[in-house]
Amino acid sequence: MSTSVTASTSLPDSRPSRLRRFSLRTYTQNLSLPSGQRSYRHSLSSRIPWRSSNPDSISPTANSTTSPCPESDHPTLSRYTSAPAPSYGFGTELNSQVSSTESAASTPFNDLAQTSNSMARLRSISAVHRPPPRTLERATTNSQESTPSPEPGLAQNNATEPTSTPADGQVTPSKSETKATIRFFPYQDSLQSSRPSLPFVPVARTLPSESCVIRVGRYSERDGLPLPNPTEPSDAPVGFKSKVVSRKHCEFLYVNGQWHIKDVGSSSGTFLNHMRLSQPNMVSRLYTIKDGDIVQLGIDFRGGEEMIFRCVRIRVECNRSWQQQPNEFNKNTESLIQNLGKGEMADYSGCRECSICLGSVLRPYQCLFMAACAHVWHYKCISRLLHSPDYPMFQCPNCRAFTDLSAEVDDSNDPEEKREKEPAEDRASNDSSEQADTMVPSVVETNSVQGPPDQLGDLAEEENLANDVENLHLQDDQQTDDTRSSASPAPNSSSDDLARSATTNIPGWQPTQPLSVPAGRQSQLRSDTPTSDDNPLTPRNDSGPLAFDGRAGMP
Amino acid sequence: MGSIKRISKELTELTESPPEGISVELADESNVYEWKVIIEGPEGSPYYESPYSHLTVHVQRTTFLTLLQTTQNGKFLVKLSLPTEYPFKPPTVSFATKIYHPNVTNDEKGSMCLGMLRPDEWKPSSKIAAVLQFARQLLSEPMPDDAVEGRIAEQYKNDRGRYEEVAREWTRKHAC
Repeated sequence: MSTSVTASTSLPDSRPSRLRRFSLRTYTQNLSLPSGQRSYRHSLSSRIPWRSSNPDSISPTANSTTSPCPESDHPTLSRYTSAPAPSYGFGTELNSQVSSTESAASTPFNDLAQTSNSMARLRSISAVHRPPPRTLERATTNSQESTPSPEPGLAQNNATEPTSTPADGQVTPSKSETKATIRFFPYQDSLQSSRPSLPFVPVARTLPSESCVIRVGRYSERDGLPLPNPTEPSDAPVGFKSKVVSRKHCEFLYVNGQWHIKDVGSSSGTFLNHMRLSQPNMVSRLYTIKDGDIVQLGIDFRGGEEMIFRCVRIRVECNRSWQQQPNEFNKNTESLIQNLGKGEMADYSGCRECSICLGSVLRPYQCLFMAACAHVWHYKCISRLLHSPDYPMFQCPNCRAFTDLSAEVDDSNDPEEKREKEPAEDRASNDSSEQADTMVPSVVETNSVQGPPDQLGDLAEEENLANDVENLHLQDDQQTDDTRSSASPAPNSSSDDLARSATTNIPGWQPTQPLSVPAGRQSQLRSDTPTSDDNPLTPRNDSGPLAFDGRAGMP
Repeated sequence: MGSIKRISKELTELTESPPEGISVELADESNVYEWKVIIEGPEGSPYYESPYSHLTVHVQRTTFLTLLQTTQNGKFLVKLSLPTEYPFKPPTVSFATKIYHPNVTNDEKGSMCLGMLRPDEWKPSSKIAAVLQFARQLLSEPMPDDAVEGRIAEQYKNDRGRYEEVAREWTRKHAC
């Protein structure tokens, strides 16, 4: 029991110096500090066993076979040191301590008074320094991470990384109409009042196919910075400019309609809601992630004073793309805008209440703010949340969706509209006939429909003009749908888009209808578009700024 | 102040059409930030018991029926205080009436642990009505995994009968 007492009593005074030694040691190759190392390790491992919240890192075998090789299991840092050899000396020295640490483990929780913050830090440091069994040989191979390593876990990752992963055969292709999207935002843990994490530009990805994997690792000059928010589906890797992020750190996978995260053998760990996924350099199993989860890559090194040593905290947003497509709610908001100034008299079914002051937003001469999720408040009411420490990130107080207020204004809708307008004139004469369009193959692609040659006579046109006039109201609705689906970030698969939007309950769309019927309507509405070419006040142009593709609300 | 406007709006709404088993008023007419709320124990919960109902066991059926009319539900006085930053900061709910419940601290504060009131869970779009309804719902369905009184939570999980007995007794003793 005497050992345990020394273990715990040596803790408070030795901690600050310990940390200093830690950084010293790893940075100056000053690897032989037995005494410092001793107390450090000792007190750390004495608290490991009762941190039983994380069974992974506390397996007794890992404790008993402590085989320290901080250099090799910390490849990010090993660049600064060139002599990993002395760690073996530590191994024997520390193994001799294992018995005492085990007895220390049985002492009561006399350190519980410590703040969770420092505990977490110590624990994660201890995890770094407590590689699992067998890591001695593995870690040495890992230290040359850039060369193809024979280590099974990594080799497997390399095999699965290319675009199509045969290992994920269980992915059901039937869910392809709802595209898997994910967004990463920087997250500042304001409640824990810990140091700020690495700032980064929000990153969005839409998987081109469900078998794709989004790899996350350290930013490398060679790869270049991939587009943070590509408009096309992409599984481009995501890189962070931090040394605590391993080159291959973790992966995001979409399996069975659910996003998952997997540590692919990072050295400083991947944490999902504060839980470490795997031990250093170990591949973890898949963990499901859900909207709003916090993922942390690595831990602050050297106190995180320098930006390059800060850990990365990510708030994950999964599958929110439905909010960025036309749906009943944001179409309602569109009509709200159109009803502005009409006061409570406005005939309009959506939400007209500012959720902050519970007052109406329909009165004239009020400054309003609309988020990308199409929720609207008085500017005065919401401004407090806009100019927050999290700026430029804004979290909708109604639906918790995040908006990047500093995002570039996206005017990519305009070219789409032009493309539609050009052929619209000759379309006015040809495809107002529904019969013709019902014969069009059921896959409706905006551009392909525009193709058919002018084959119908003027008679048919005149006959259908009357129909068109009757259907004008419906067509307006329809038209905004069209511009949106064609402006959505997946132009190469608008059949998907149509199928998807048909399931998202858009007014005017009957999901049960065959797809050829929308084709007919779509062509109908083209017959009245020419007017919008010269008159900017037609409903068509009116819908431009209100095409809620998720970016319209951003400043 | 914007918050006063919103609070008085919610107060009017709640007094004009109060949710079932809940009535609200201001503790002090000049201060909209402190509310006095009466929550009736929900039917079927051990907090439903009236001070008289334990008598019914011993009386005859005829008198039982007459007694039933004078019976009233257990009423709990709840204090709701709103921060000046409301609705950006959550209100706090505390039971002024002593109550035997895993999610209410068993001290003079009687603070209630509501998930939606935690700072990171709170949404400014949540309304007081929802908070109070949630609090009342918690009386019917305690959440022992989210408890502030570990012992009561333990008892609720393992010895439901005894828990209900004590809760009923406390209701009789303290609720009005």
